[in-house]
Amino acid sequence: MMAILEARGLTAGYGAKTVISGLDLSVREGEFAALIGPNGSGKSTLVKCLTGYLAPGEGEILFSGRAIREYARRDLARELAAVPQFMPEPLPFLVRDFIMLGRYPHRRIFEAATAWDLEALRSAAELTGTEKLLERKLSELSGGERQMVFLARALAQAPRCIILDEPVSHLDIAHAVRIMDVLAELHSRGATVVAVLHDINLASEYAGRVIALKEGRVYADGTPTQVVEYRIIEGLFDTVCLVKENPISGRPFTYPVPGRLRNRGLS
Amino acid sequence: MTAGRYILAIVLLAAVSLLCLCLGTVVLSPAEVFTVFFGGGSGTEGGILLGIRLPRLLMALTVGASLSVSGVVFQAVLKNPLADPYITGVSGGAAFGAALAALITSSFFPAAIAAFLGSLAAVLTVYLISRLRGLGSTSMVLSGVALSFMLSSGVLLLFSILRSEEVHRVLLWLMGDLSVARYGLVARMGAFLAALIGLTILYHRQMDIISFGEEFASSLGVTRRDVFALFWIGAMLAAVPVALAGVIGFVGLVVPHLARFFFGPRHAHLVPSAALGGAMLLALADAVGRTMAPPYEIPAGVITGFFGGIFFLIVLIRRGGV
Repeated sequence: MMAILEARGLTAGYGAKTVISGLDLSVREGEFAALIGPNGSGKSTLVKCLTGYLAPGEGEILFSGRAIREYARRDLARELAAVPQFMPEPLPFLVRDFIMLGRYPHRRIFEAATAWDLEALRSAAELTGTEKLLERKLSELSGGERQMVFLARALAQAPRCIILDEPVSHLDIAHAVRIMDVLAELHSRGATVVAVLHDINLASEYAGRVIALKEGRVYADGTPTQVVEYRIIEGLFDTVCLVKENPISGRPFTYPVPGRLRNRGLS
Repeated sequence: MTAGRYILAIVLLAAVSLLCLCLGTVVLSPAEVFTVFFGGGSGTEGGILLGIRLPRLLMALTVGASLSVSGVVFQAVLKNPLADPYITGVSGGAAFGAALAALITSSFFPAAIAAFLGSLAAVLTVYLISRLRGLGSTSMVLSGVALSFMLSSGVLLLFSILRSEEVHRVLLWLMGDLSVARYGLVARMGAFLAALIGLTILYHRQMDIISFGEEFASSLGVTRRDVFALFWIGAMLAAVPVALAGVIGFVGLVVPHLARFFFGPRHAHLVPSAALGGAMLLALADAVGRTMAPPYEIPAGVITGFFGGIFFLIVLIRRGGV
Protein backbone atom coordinates (compact mmCIF):
# COMPACT_ATOMS: atom_id res chain seq x y z
CA MET A 1 0.00 0.00 0.00
CA MET A 2 1.02 3.56 -0.63
CA ALA A 3 2.40 5.79 2.11
CA ILE A 4 -0.20 8.34 3.19
CA LEU A 5 2.00 10.10 5.74
CA GLU A 6 5.72 10.39 5.49
CA ALA A 7 8.40 12.18 7.49
CA ARG A 8 11.77 12.52 5.76
CA GLY A 9 14.80 13.59 7.74
CA LEU A 10 12.49 15.47 10.10
CA THR A 11 14.09 17.84 12.59
CA ALA A 12 11.69 19.93 14.63
CA GLY A 13 11.36 21.79 17.89
CA TYR A 14 10.39 25.07 19.46
CA GLY A 15 12.73 28.02 19.09
CA ALA A 16 16.24 26.92 19.96
CA LYS A 17 15.07 23.66 21.48
CA THR A 18 15.24 20.69 19.12
CA VAL A 19 12.86 17.90 20.08
CA ILE A 20 13.02 15.67 17.03
CA SER A 21 16.19 15.14 15.04
CA GLY A 22 16.54 13.32 11.76
CA LEU A 23 13.42 11.21 12.03
CA ASP A 24 12.21 9.06 9.14
CA LEU A 25 8.79 7.50 9.26
CA SER A 26 6.23 6.26 6.82
CA VAL A 27 2.62 5.36 7.54
CA ARG A 28 0.80 3.36 4.89
CA GLU A 29 -2.77 4.07 3.89
CA GLY A 30 -5.18 2.06 6.03
CA GLU A 31 -2.80 1.47 8.92
CA PHE A 32 -3.67 1.86 12.60
CA ALA A 33 -0.45 3.13 14.15
CA ALA A 34 0.11 3.95 17.82
CA LEU A 35 2.87 6.30 18.91
CA ILE A 36 4.24 5.48 22.34
CA GLY A 37 7.17 6.73 24.32
CA PRO A 38 8.12 8.58 27.49
CA ASN A 39 7.10 12.16 28.22
CA GLY A 40 9.23 14.56 26.21
CA SER A 41 10.17 11.97 23.62
CA GLY A 42 8.70 14.08 20.81
CA LYS A 43 5.34 12.36 20.25
CA SER A 44 3.29 15.55 20.37
CA THR A 45 5.86 17.45 18.34
CA LEU A 46 5.78 14.74 15.70
CA VAL A 47 1.99 14.91 15.63
CA LYS A 48 2.07 18.69 15.22
CA CYS A 49 4.43 18.27 12.26
CA LEU A 50 2.36 15.49 10.72
CA THR A 51 -0.77 17.63 10.81
CA GLY A 52 1.11 20.55 9.30
CA TYR A 53 0.61 22.76 12.36
CA LEU A 54 4.30 23.00 13.18
CA ALA A 55 6.72 23.70 10.35
CA PRO A 56 9.76 21.40 10.45
CA GLY A 57 13.18 22.93 11.04
CA GLU A 58 14.66 20.54 8.53
CA GLY A 59 13.29 17.74 6.40
CA GLU A 60 9.85 17.35 5.03
CA ILE A 61 6.40 15.95 5.74
CA LEU A 62 4.50 14.41 2.88
CA PHE A 63 0.81 13.68 2.78
CA SER A 64 -0.30 11.35 0.03
CA GLY A 65 3.05 11.77 -1.68
CA ARG A 66 2.96 15.57 -1.74
CA ALA A 67 4.76 18.02 0.59
CA ILE A 68 2.33 19.15 3.25
CA ARG A 69 3.44 22.79 3.04
CA GLU A 70 2.34 22.88 -0.60
CA TYR A 71 -1.26 22.09 0.34
CA ALA A 72 -3.82 24.81 0.78
CA ARG A 73 -4.86 24.27 4.39
CA ARG A 74 -8.52 23.74 3.53
CA ASP A 75 -7.69 21.13 0.91
CA LEU A 76 -5.57 19.29 3.42
CA ALA A 77 -8.32 19.51 6.05
CA ARG A 78 -10.70 17.68 3.73
CA GLU A 79 -8.46 14.62 3.89
CA LEU A 80 -6.61 14.85 7.17
CA ALA A 81 -8.29 15.47 10.52
CA ALA A 82 -6.64 16.03 13.86
CA VAL A 83 -7.76 15.88 17.47
CA PRO A 84 -5.31 18.03 19.44
CA GLN A 85 -4.32 17.16 22.97
CA PHE A 86 -5.21 20.50 24.53
CA MET A 87 -8.27 22.56 23.88
CA PRO A 88 -9.26 25.76 25.65
CA GLU A 89 -12.12 25.61 28.14
CA PRO A 90 -15.04 24.79 25.82
CA LEU A 91 -17.52 27.49 24.92
CA PRO A 92 -21.22 26.76 25.36
CA PHE A 93 -21.65 25.69 21.73
CA LEU A 94 -24.40 23.20 21.04
CA VAL A 95 -22.78 19.83 20.36
CA ARG A 96 -24.50 19.84 16.96
CA ASP A 97 -22.97 23.21 16.03
CA PHE A 98 -19.58 22.13 17.31
CA ILE A 99 -19.53 18.94 15.26
CA MET A 100 -20.62 20.98 12.24
CA LEU A 101 -17.40 23.01 12.58
CA GLY A 102 -15.80 19.88 11.14
CA ARG A 103 -17.58 20.67 7.89
CA TYR A 104 -15.81 24.02 7.56
CA PRO A 105 -13.25 22.86 4.96
CA HIS A 106 -16.10 21.52 2.82
CA ARG A 107 -18.40 24.53 3.00
CA ARG A 108 -18.58 27.85 1.21
CA ILE A 109 -19.10 31.17 2.96
CA PHE A 110 -22.80 31.64 2.41
CA GLU A 111 -23.80 28.07 1.85
CA ALA A 112 -26.35 26.69 4.26
CA ALA A 113 -25.64 23.16 5.47
CA THR A 114 -26.10 20.81 2.52
CA ALA A 115 -27.61 17.32 2.66
CA TRP A 116 -24.03 16.11 2.43
CA ASP A 117 -23.04 18.10 5.54
CA LEU A 118 -26.04 16.85 7.49
CA GLU A 119 -25.28 13.29 6.48
CA ALA A 120 -21.69 13.71 7.70
CA LEU A 121 -23.00 15.06 11.00
CA ARG A 122 -25.45 12.19 11.35
CA SER A 123 -22.94 9.47 10.60
CA ALA A 124 -20.25 11.03 12.84
CA ALA A 125 -22.76 11.18 15.69
CA GLU A 126 -23.92 7.64 15.02
CA LEU A 127 -20.43 6.17 14.90
CA THR A 128 -19.47 7.86 18.16
CA GLY A 129 -22.82 7.28 19.84
CA THR A 130 -23.26 10.99 20.47
CA GLU A 131 -26.72 11.38 18.88
CA LYS A 132 -28.30 11.98 22.27
CA LEU A 133 -25.85 14.76 23.06
CA LEU A 134 -26.49 16.83 19.93
CA GLU A 135 -28.80 19.37 21.55
CA ARG A 136 -26.71 19.75 24.69
CA LYS A 137 -24.06 22.33 25.35
CA LEU A 138 -20.43 21.38 24.94
CA SER A 139 -19.52 23.08 28.21
CA GLU A 140 -21.96 20.89 30.17
CA LEU A 141 -20.58 17.52 29.08
CA SER A 142 -18.45 15.19 31.17
CA GLY A 143 -14.82 14.63 30.21
CA GLY A 144 -15.59 11.34 28.46
CA GLU A 145 -18.58 12.71 26.54
CA ARG A 146 -16.58 15.74 25.54
CA GLN A 147 -13.71 13.68 24.15
CA MET A 148 -16.18 11.60 22.16
CA VAL A 149 -17.70 14.80 20.74
CA PHE A 150 -14.21 16.06 19.82
CA LEU A 151 -13.72 12.80 17.95
CA ALA A 152 -17.11 13.15 16.25
CA ARG A 153 -16.11 16.66 15.15
CA ALA A 154 -13.00 15.24 13.47
CA LEU A 155 -15.04 12.47 11.83
CA ALA A 156 -17.42 15.07 10.38
CA GLN A 157 -14.46 16.22 8.31
CA ALA A 158 -14.82 12.86 6.50
CA PRO A 159 -11.05 12.41 6.52
CA ARG A 160 -8.96 9.68 4.93
CA CYS A 161 -6.57 9.94 7.82
CA ILE A 162 -7.06 10.98 11.43
CA ILE A 163 -4.32 11.90 13.87
CA LEU A 164 -5.03 12.02 17.59
CA ASP A 165 -2.80 13.28 20.38
CA GLU A 166 -3.51 11.37 23.58
CA PRO A 167 -7.23 10.99 23.01
CA VAL A 168 -7.80 8.86 26.09
CA SER A 169 -5.13 9.81 28.64
CA HIS A 170 -7.43 11.44 31.18
CA LEU A 171 -10.35 9.06 30.75
CA ASP A 172 -11.45 6.11 32.82
CA ILE A 173 -11.04 2.64 31.34
CA ALA A 174 -14.63 2.36 30.07
CA HIS A 175 -14.54 5.67 28.24
CA ALA A 176 -11.06 4.95 26.93
CA VAL A 177 -12.18 1.63 25.49
CA ARG A 178 -15.24 3.25 23.94
CA ILE A 179 -13.07 5.82 22.16
CA MET A 180 -10.60 3.13 21.05
CA ASP A 181 -13.48 1.00 19.75
CA VAL A 182 -14.64 3.91 17.60
CA LEU A 183 -11.12 4.27 16.23
CA ALA A 184 -11.02 0.54 15.50
CA GLU A 185 -14.35 0.76 13.68
CA LEU A 186 -13.08 3.74 11.70
CA HIS A 187 -9.95 1.80 10.82
CA SER A 188 -11.99 -1.18 9.68
CA ARG A 189 -13.83 1.14 7.30
CA GLY A 190 -10.55 2.00 5.63
CA ALA A 191 -9.34 5.15 7.37
CA THR A 192 -5.74 5.58 8.45
CA VAL A 193 -5.49 6.16 12.21
CA VAL A 194 -2.42 7.53 13.99
CA ALA A 195 -2.78 7.99 17.73
CA VAL A 196 -0.41 9.02 20.48
CA LEU A 197 -1.19 6.73 23.40
CA HIS A 198 0.19 6.81 26.89
CA ASP A 199 -1.22 3.43 27.72
CA ILE A 200 1.02 0.76 26.16
CA ASN A 201 -1.68 -1.85 26.64
CA LEU A 202 -4.28 0.09 24.67
CA ALA A 203 -1.69 0.58 21.94
CA SER A 204 -0.94 -3.12 21.92
CA GLU A 205 -4.59 -4.18 21.87
CA TYR A 206 -5.82 -1.84 19.16
CA ALA A 207 -2.98 -0.84 16.87
CA GLY A 208 -1.61 -2.92 14.03
CA ARG A 209 1.68 -1.12 14.36
CA VAL A 210 3.41 0.39 17.37
CA ILE A 211 6.00 3.10 16.88
CA ALA A 212 8.12 3.84 19.94
CA LEU A 213 9.80 7.22 20.18
CA LYS A 214 12.66 8.07 22.49
CA GLU A 215 14.62 11.30 22.58
CA GLY A 216 13.21 12.43 19.25
CA ARG A 217 14.09 9.26 17.33
CA VAL A 218 12.30 6.07 16.41
CA TYR A 219 13.40 3.61 19.07
CA ALA A 220 11.38 0.63 17.87
CA ASP A 221 8.81 0.12 15.17
CA GLY A 222 6.77 -2.97 14.36
CA THR A 223 3.76 -5.06 15.29
CA PRO A 224 2.62 -5.00 18.93
CA THR A 225 4.25 -8.40 19.49
CA GLN A 226 7.56 -7.10 18.15
CA VAL A 227 7.60 -3.80 20.04
CA VAL A 228 5.77 -4.56 23.28
CA GLU A 229 8.52 -6.80 24.48
CA TYR A 230 10.05 -6.39 27.90
CA ARG A 231 13.58 -5.46 26.79
CA ILE A 232 12.26 -2.83 24.42
CA ILE A 233 9.73 -1.37 26.85
CA GLU A 234 12.29 -1.33 29.69
CA GLY A 235 14.84 0.40 27.49
CA LEU A 236 12.24 2.79 26.10
CA PHE A 237 11.04 4.00 29.48
CA ASP A 238 14.15 3.20 31.54
CA THR A 239 12.04 1.20 33.93
CA VAL A 240 11.43 -2.38 34.90
CA CYS A 241 8.37 -4.21 33.70
CA LEU A 242 6.85 -7.53 32.93
CA VAL A 243 5.21 -8.41 29.61
CA LYS A 244 2.64 -11.18 29.28
CA GLU A 245 0.14 -12.25 26.70
CA ASN A 246 -3.50 -11.32 26.97
CA PRO A 247 -5.17 -14.74 26.75
CA ILE A 248 -8.23 -13.33 25.01
CA SER A 249 -6.59 -11.28 22.27
CA GLY A 250 -3.19 -12.87 22.15
CA ARG A 251 -1.61 -9.42 22.30
CA PRO A 252 1.16 -8.59 24.77
CA PHE A 253 0.40 -6.47 27.81
CA THR A 254 2.72 -4.70 30.20
CA TYR A 255 2.88 -4.72 33.97
CA PRO A 256 4.96 -2.23 35.89
CA VAL A 257 7.28 -3.61 38.57
CA PRO A 258 7.31 -1.40 41.69
CA GLY A 259 10.70 -0.03 42.76
CA ARG A 260 10.75 -1.94 46.05
CA LEU A 261 10.55 -5.29 44.26
CA ARG A 262 13.08 -4.68 41.55
CA ASN A 263 16.16 -6.14 43.20
CA ARG A 264 14.55 -9.38 44.30
CA GLY A 265 14.82 -11.22 41.01
CA LEU A 266 12.77 -14.25 40.16
CA SER A 267 15.01 -17.09 41.21
CA MET B 1 -36.54 31.75 18.62
CA THR B 2 -33.49 33.65 17.46
CA ALA B 3 -35.61 35.54 14.95
CA GLY B 4 -37.86 36.67 17.80
CA ARG B 5 -34.88 37.96 19.71
CA TYR B 6 -33.66 39.90 16.70
CA ILE B 7 -37.08 41.49 16.29
CA LEU B 8 -37.11 42.38 19.96
CA ALA B 9 -33.61 43.87 19.72
CA ILE B 10 -34.56 45.96 16.69
CA VAL B 11 -37.74 47.22 18.36
CA LEU B 12 -35.73 48.10 21.46
CA LEU B 13 -33.15 49.88 19.33
CA ALA B 14 -35.88 51.92 17.66
CA ALA B 15 -37.37 52.81 21.04
CA VAL B 16 -33.99 53.83 22.44
CA SER B 17 -33.30 55.91 19.33
CA LEU B 18 -36.61 57.71 19.72
CA LEU B 19 -35.86 58.31 23.38
CA CYS B 20 -32.46 59.76 22.48
CA LEU B 21 -34.06 62.16 20.05
CA CYS B 22 -36.54 63.28 22.70
CA LEU B 23 -34.08 63.79 25.53
CA GLY B 24 -31.74 66.72 25.95
CA THR B 25 -31.71 70.20 27.48
CA VAL B 26 -34.96 70.79 25.63
CA VAL B 27 -37.17 67.75 26.09
CA LEU B 28 -39.38 66.95 23.10
CA SER B 29 -42.33 64.59 23.04
CA PRO B 30 -42.31 61.65 20.62
CA ALA B 31 -45.20 63.36 18.81
CA GLU B 32 -43.06 66.45 18.24
CA VAL B 33 -40.23 64.28 16.95
CA PHE B 34 -42.56 62.59 14.46
CA THR B 35 -43.93 65.95 13.33
CA VAL B 36 -40.43 67.17 12.49
CA PHE B 37 -39.59 64.03 10.53
CA PHE B 38 -42.84 63.66 8.63
CA GLY B 39 -43.37 67.20 7.50
CA GLY B 40 -44.76 70.18 9.34
CA GLY B 41 -42.72 71.13 12.38
CA SER B 42 -39.65 73.20 11.69
CA GLY B 43 -37.96 76.10 13.42
CA THR B 44 -36.17 75.54 16.69
CA GLU B 45 -37.27 71.96 17.20
CA GLY B 46 -36.32 71.04 13.66
CA GLY B 47 -32.95 72.70 14.12
CA ILE B 48 -32.22 70.86 17.35
CA LEU B 49 -33.42 67.53 16.03
CA LEU B 50 -31.99 67.47 12.54
CA GLY B 51 -28.98 69.68 13.17
CA ILE B 52 -27.74 68.28 16.48
CA ARG B 53 -29.53 65.27 17.89
CA LEU B 54 -29.93 63.13 14.78
CA PRO B 55 -26.29 63.20 13.65
CA ARG B 56 -25.23 62.64 17.21
CA LEU B 57 -27.56 59.67 17.55
CA LEU B 58 -26.25 58.22 14.32
CA MET B 59 -22.70 58.69 15.55
CA ALA B 60 -23.50 56.96 18.84
CA LEU B 61 -25.13 54.04 17.00
CA THR B 62 -22.18 53.60 14.64
CA VAL B 63 -19.49 53.95 17.27
CA GLY B 64 -21.29 51.64 19.71
CA ALA B 65 -21.85 49.00 17.05
CA SER B 66 -18.29 48.95 15.79
CA LEU B 67 -16.66 48.95 19.23
CA SER B 68 -18.84 45.98 20.21
CA VAL B 69 -18.08 44.03 17.06
CA SER B 70 -14.40 44.81 17.58
CA GLY B 71 -14.74 43.33 21.07
CA VAL B 72 -16.30 40.17 19.61
CA VAL B 73 -13.41 39.85 17.17
CA PHE B 74 -10.71 40.25 19.80
CA GLN B 75 -12.37 37.91 22.28
CA ALA B 76 -12.36 35.27 19.54
CA VAL B 77 -8.87 35.92 18.21
CA LEU B 78 -7.27 36.17 21.64
CA LYS B 79 -9.45 33.40 23.11
CA ASN B 80 -9.79 35.60 26.15
CA PRO B 81 -13.17 36.64 27.54
CA LEU B 82 -11.57 39.70 29.13
CA ALA B 83 -10.18 40.96 25.83
CA ASP B 84 -11.55 44.21 24.53
CA PRO B 85 -10.65 46.40 21.54
CA TYR B 86 -8.24 48.45 23.60
CA ILE B 87 -6.06 45.49 24.46
CA THR B 88 -4.22 46.07 21.19
CA GLY B 89 -3.02 49.48 22.29
CA VAL B 90 -5.57 51.27 20.11
CA SER B 91 -6.67 53.59 22.91
CA GLY B 92 -3.19 54.26 24.27
CA GLY B 93 -1.86 55.04 20.82
CA ALA B 94 -4.80 57.30 20.07
CA ALA B 95 -4.44 59.17 23.36
CA PHE B 96 -0.75 59.69 22.77
CA GLY B 97 -1.36 60.90 19.21
CA ALA B 98 -4.09 63.29 20.35
CA ALA B 99 -1.96 64.68 23.18
CA LEU B 100 0.93 65.13 20.78
CA ALA B 101 -1.32 66.99 18.36
CA ALA B 102 -2.52 69.23 21.17
CA LEU B 103 1.04 70.55 21.48
CA ILE B 104 0.71 72.05 18.00
CA THR B 105 -2.93 72.73 17.28
CA SER B 106 -6.28 72.92 19.00
CA SER B 107 -8.51 72.08 16.03
CA PHE B 108 -10.37 68.80 15.72
CA PHE B 109 -9.30 67.16 12.49
CA PRO B 110 -5.53 67.24 12.92
CA ALA B 111 -6.07 65.79 16.39
CA ALA B 112 -8.31 63.04 15.01
CA ILE B 113 -5.76 62.18 12.37
CA ALA B 114 -2.95 62.17 14.91
CA ALA B 115 -5.03 59.93 17.16
CA PHE B 116 -5.71 57.56 14.29
CA LEU B 117 -2.03 57.41 13.34
CA GLY B 118 -1.16 56.82 17.00
CA SER B 119 -3.61 53.91 17.09
CA LEU B 120 -2.19 52.46 13.92
CA ALA B 121 1.37 52.69 15.23
CA ALA B 122 0.39 50.96 18.46
CA VAL B 123 -1.57 48.22 16.71
CA LEU B 124 1.24 47.70 14.23
CA THR B 125 3.72 47.29 17.08
CA VAL B 126 1.58 44.69 18.82
CA TYR B 127 0.97 42.97 15.51
CA LEU B 128 4.65 42.79 14.61
CA ILE B 129 5.64 41.54 18.04
CA SER B 130 3.07 38.77 17.97
CA ARG B 131 4.01 37.90 14.40
CA LEU B 132 7.64 37.68 15.39
CA ARG B 133 6.83 35.63 18.43
CA GLY B 134 4.53 33.32 16.51
CA LEU B 135 1.15 34.67 17.55
CA GLY B 136 0.72 33.30 21.02
CA SER B 137 -2.45 35.04 22.13
CA THR B 138 -0.87 35.57 25.54
CA SER B 139 2.09 37.34 24.04
CA MET B 140 -0.29 39.52 22.07
CA VAL B 141 -2.23 40.48 25.18
CA LEU B 142 0.92 41.11 27.19
CA SER B 143 2.62 43.19 24.53
CA GLY B 144 -0.57 45.24 24.22
CA VAL B 145 -0.64 45.80 27.98
CA ALA B 146 3.04 46.73 28.10
CA LEU B 147 2.64 49.13 25.21
CA SER B 148 -0.44 50.72 26.78
CA PHE B 149 1.52 51.42 29.96
CA MET B 150 4.33 53.03 28.00
CA LEU B 151 1.89 55.13 26.02
CA SER B 152 0.00 56.32 29.07
CA SER B 153 3.31 57.37 30.61
CA GLY B 154 3.91 59.28 27.40
CA VAL B 155 0.49 60.93 27.67
CA LEU B 156 1.19 61.97 31.26
CA LEU B 157 4.54 63.37 30.17
CA LEU B 158 2.83 65.43 27.49
CA PHE B 159 0.21 66.59 29.99
CA SER B 160 2.97 67.95 32.19
CA ILE B 161 4.15 70.08 29.26
CA LEU B 162 0.75 71.15 27.90
CA ARG B 163 -1.22 74.15 29.11
CA SER B 164 -4.08 73.25 31.38
CA GLU B 165 -6.95 74.13 28.99
CA GLU B 166 -5.43 71.85 26.37
CA VAL B 167 -5.05 69.10 28.93
CA HIS B 168 -8.72 69.55 29.75
CA ARG B 169 -9.71 69.30 26.11
CA VAL B 170 -7.68 66.15 25.54
CA LEU B 171 -9.04 64.69 28.75
CA LEU B 172 -12.63 65.33 27.65
CA TRP B 173 -11.88 63.59 24.37
CA LEU B 174 -10.25 60.74 26.23
CA MET B 175 -13.48 60.19 28.12
CA GLY B 176 -15.40 59.71 24.90
CA ASP B 177 -17.12 62.66 23.33
CA LEU B 178 -19.84 62.40 20.73
CA SER B 179 -20.43 66.13 20.34
CA VAL B 180 -18.28 66.28 17.19
CA ALA B 181 -20.99 64.53 15.16
CA ARG B 182 -21.69 66.13 11.77
CA TYR B 183 -23.56 64.51 8.89
CA GLY B 184 -20.62 64.36 6.50
CA LEU B 185 -18.37 62.82 9.09
CA VAL B 186 -20.98 60.35 10.30
CA ALA B 187 -21.84 59.29 6.76
CA ARG B 188 -18.26 58.56 5.75
CA MET B 189 -17.39 56.87 9.02
CA GLY B 190 -20.66 54.95 9.00
CA ALA B 191 -20.14 53.58 5.50
CA PHE B 192 -16.61 52.48 6.28
CA LEU B 193 -17.50 50.84 9.59
CA ALA B 194 -20.63 49.18 8.21
CA ALA B 195 -18.48 47.62 5.49
CA LEU B 196 -16.04 46.35 8.12
CA ILE B 197 -18.86 44.87 10.19
CA GLY B 198 -20.14 43.16 7.05
CA LEU B 199 -16.68 41.75 6.46
CA THR B 200 -16.60 40.47 10.04
CA ILE B 201 -19.83 38.55 9.47
CA LEU B 202 -18.19 36.82 6.48
CA TYR B 203 -15.58 35.50 8.89
CA HIS B 204 -18.11 34.02 11.32
CA ARG B 205 -17.09 30.38 10.88
CA GLN B 206 -13.42 31.17 11.15
CA MET B 207 -14.08 32.99 14.42
CA ASP B 208 -16.08 30.03 15.75
CA ILE B 209 -13.14 27.78 15.00
CA ILE B 210 -10.41 30.10 16.24
CA SER B 211 -12.19 30.30 19.62
CA PHE B 212 -11.19 26.67 20.16
CA GLY B 213 -7.46 27.24 19.85
CA GLU B 214 -4.80 27.59 17.21
CA GLU B 215 -3.94 23.95 16.74
CA PHE B 216 -7.62 23.13 16.34
CA ALA B 217 -8.08 25.97 13.86
CA SER B 218 -5.06 24.86 11.86
CA SER B 219 -6.37 21.31 11.59
CA LEU B 220 -9.59 22.62 10.07
CA GLY B 221 -7.87 24.77 7.51
CA VAL B 222 -8.21 28.16 9.22
CA THR B 223 -4.87 29.81 8.62
CA ARG B 224 -2.81 32.45 10.34
CA ARG B 225 -3.71 34.69 7.45
CA ASP B 226 -7.34 34.52 8.56
CA VAL B 227 -6.31 35.33 12.11
CA PHE B 228 -4.25 38.33 11.04
CA ALA B 229 -7.01 39.56 8.74
CA LEU B 230 -9.40 39.42 11.67
CA PHE B 231 -6.88 41.21 13.86
CA TRP B 232 -6.74 44.13 11.43
CA ILE B 233 -10.50 44.25 10.92
CA GLY B 234 -10.97 44.37 14.69
CA ALA B 235 -8.28 47.00 15.10
CA MET B 236 -9.83 49.24 12.43
CA LEU B 237 -13.27 48.81 13.98
CA ALA B 238 -11.79 50.30 17.16
CA ALA B 239 -9.29 52.80 15.79
CA VAL B 240 -11.70 54.78 13.62
CA PRO B 241 -14.32 55.38 16.33
CA VAL B 242 -11.63 56.17 18.89
CA ALA B 243 -9.99 58.73 16.62
CA LEU B 244 -13.31 60.50 16.09
CA ALA B 245 -15.18 60.02 19.33
CA GLY B 246 -12.49 59.28 21.88
CA VAL B 247 -11.92 56.40 24.20
CA ILE B 248 -15.33 55.01 25.05
CA GLY B 249 -14.65 52.20 27.42
CA PHE B 250 -16.41 49.05 28.38
CA VAL B 251 -18.81 48.81 25.42
CA GLY B 252 -16.38 46.53 23.61
CA LEU B 253 -15.98 44.33 26.67
CA VAL B 254 -19.54 44.09 27.99
CA VAL B 255 -21.69 43.97 24.88
CA PRO B 256 -20.10 40.81 23.42
CA HIS B 257 -20.87 39.01 26.69
CA LEU B 258 -24.46 40.22 26.71
CA ALA B 259 -24.84 39.22 23.07
CA ARG B 260 -23.44 35.79 23.87
CA PHE B 261 -25.90 35.47 26.76
CA PHE B 262 -28.93 36.16 24.57
CA PHE B 263 -27.81 34.81 21.19
CA GLY B 264 -25.36 32.02 22.04
CA PRO B 265 -21.69 31.63 21.16
CA ARG B 266 -21.93 31.26 17.36
CA HIS B 267 -20.44 34.24 15.62
CA ALA B 268 -23.03 34.20 12.84
CA HIS B 269 -25.40 35.60 15.48
CA LEU B 270 -22.86 37.12 17.82
CA VAL B 271 -21.62 39.73 15.36
CA PRO B 272 -25.00 41.17 14.31
CA SER B 273 -26.45 41.00 17.81
CA ALA B 274 -23.39 42.67 19.32
CA ALA B 275 -23.69 45.42 16.71
CA LEU B 276 -27.34 45.99 17.66
CA GLY B 277 -26.59 45.86 21.38
CA GLY B 278 -23.59 48.17 21.16
CA ALA B 279 -25.52 50.72 19.14
CA MET B 280 -28.32 50.63 21.68
CA LEU B 281 -26.05 50.85 24.71
CA LEU B 282 -24.01 53.79 23.51
CA ALA B 283 -27.02 55.78 22.30
CA LEU B 284 -28.61 55.27 25.70
CA ALA B 285 -25.43 56.21 27.53
CA ASP B 286 -25.12 59.38 25.49
CA ALA B 287 -28.74 60.35 26.15
CA VAL B 288 -28.25 59.78 29.88
CA GLY B 289 -25.05 61.81 29.84
CA ARG B 290 -26.75 64.71 28.11
CA THR B 291 -29.70 64.86 30.46
CA MET B 292 -28.31 63.85 33.83
CA ALA B 293 -26.89 67.16 34.98
CA PRO B 294 -27.76 70.01 32.60
CA PRO B 295 -26.25 72.30 31.49
CA TYR B 296 -23.22 70.02 31.75
CA GLU B 297 -22.74 67.12 29.42
CA ILE B 298 -21.26 64.05 30.98
CA PRO B 299 -19.11 62.32 28.34
CA ALA B 300 -20.62 59.07 27.10
CA GLY B 301 -17.46 57.17 28.03
CA VAL B 302 -17.95 58.06 31.69
CA ILE B 303 -21.51 56.74 31.61
CA THR B 304 -20.63 53.50 29.79
CA GLY B 305 -17.73 52.87 32.16
CA PHE B 306 -19.79 53.48 35.29
CA PHE B 307 -23.14 51.91 34.46
CA GLY B 308 -21.57 49.30 32.24
CA GLY B 309 -19.42 48.23 35.16
CA ILE B 310 -22.34 48.03 37.56
CA PHE B 311 -24.44 46.13 35.09
CA PHE B 312 -21.61 43.74 34.35
CA LEU B 313 -21.07 43.03 38.04
CA ILE B 314 -24.78 42.35 38.54
CA VAL B 315 -24.84 39.90 35.66
CA LEU B 316 -21.67 38.29 36.95
CA ILE B 317 -23.01 37.82 40.46
CA ARG B 318 -26.45 36.60 39.39
CA ARG B 319 -25.20 34.16 36.82
CA GLY B 320 -22.04 33.14 38.63
CA GLY B 321 -19.97 33.66 35.51
CA VAL B 322 -20.50 35.21 32.11
